[in-house]
Amino acid sequence: MIADQPTALETIDLLLRDRTKMLATLRGDRDVMPILRTMVATIALCMAIVGAALGTYRGGEQIAYAAIKLPLVLLGTAALSAPALTAVGVALGRRARFAADLALVLSALAFGALLMAACTPLILLGRSIDLDYHRMILATVAMFGVAGIAALRMIAVGLGGENAVGWRAAFASMCLVFIMVGSQLGWALRPYLVRPRAQHVVFVREVEGSLYDALVEGFDSARGIYREDAR
Amino acid sequence: MSVAIESEPTPLPRAAGLALAALAPAAVGGIITAHFAAVPPVAVTPAIVLGVIAATSPALYIALAATGEAPRVPAVARAVAVALAAFGIALTGFVLPATFLSLTSVTDPTPIVIATIALGGAALLGMRRLARELALNSLSAWLVFGVWSIATLGIAGRLWWDMARELVP
Repeated sequence: MIADQPTALETIDLLLRDRTKMLATLRGDRDVMPILRTMVATIALCMAIVGAALGTYRGGEQIAYAAIKLPLVLLGTAALSAPALTAVGVALGRRARFAADLALVLSALAFGALLMAACTPLILLGRSIDLDYHRMILATVAMFGVAGIAALRMIAVGLGGENAVGWRAAFASMCLVFIMVGSQLGWALRPYLVRPRAQHVVFVREVEGSLYDALVEGFDSARGIYREDAR
Repeated sequence: MSVAIESEPTPLPRAAGLALAALAPAAVGGIITAHFAAVPPVAVTPAIVLGVIAATSPALYIALAATGEAPRVPAVARAVAVALAAFGIALTGFVLPATFLSLTSVTDPTPIVIATIALGGAALLGMRRLARELALNSLSAWLVFGVWSIATLGIAGRLWWDMARELVP
């Protein structure tokens, strides 16, 4: 049995070259723990590289800060979102397979992280040609958007391949949770990209409320209700 | 493009699901309790869920029976129990992200909005499971089910809103 287990590099190669086969592997009843370990390591390493590349825009300690924070955002989001996928699936009649669902989510995120790592030269190019801050942000958002869509597509294909009842609702619920948690965790751990002229950098900003607090306050302000001081 | 046929639903762990139908709303109520330092939500939330289902499910049976579509009473009771268990399991999956989102917020409406989304989402999933368990197969049965769903969600939503309104200054 142990001889059948592919190495970590073979698993990553399979993820990049043949995702249909990778998804079939995840749907099987084999032990997914080696895949989970490989995917967590892949996400941590790739996002650390991407974070470090983003940190070079400011340089100094921001390289280390962003390299630590970006993997935390992705892994934390996966940890908080995968249980929702399993729970909603079970509620609608899917088989309960938490480890396999977690492996699917982490594999998809690892694929997205690998795509982001492949974009690192573009980030470094932006730094080397002194692309202005706002354009750099837009370019980064576009790269994350492409990688995110690719990751979500992989999850959708993986769930759809099961033909299990309620997979669409389970996928939609997971997407909602993923977007809400991911954006909030990303918001809480910002900044990642800091202006080169910034004198000081911080690991995380002071707690100023959540992204949703900002949206609620923005909605109130639009109605003419202004808050002098948040709780 | 081929059309894939979905497999039959896997049976739920009903006893555990029913326990979660009481515990998960208490946990969501606990999120509100933690934010506002007010005890009622932790007890009121499961009371709203279980109370409204207990009060309205007989009406569903009566109305479906009147259309000639209702399964026998034990089958309807079983379907409601499965749907309630599905609600509890789905809500359990939302508790962790809802807790995280609430704990990282500072304004008063945010935890209530998050808890409402979690409860509402789980309720819709429970309704969907109930429709499948009842195997509705006529327009009149679907109409009855639709009206019952709106009424049940409306009553529960109103009770939830009344509780939330007292908490937000």
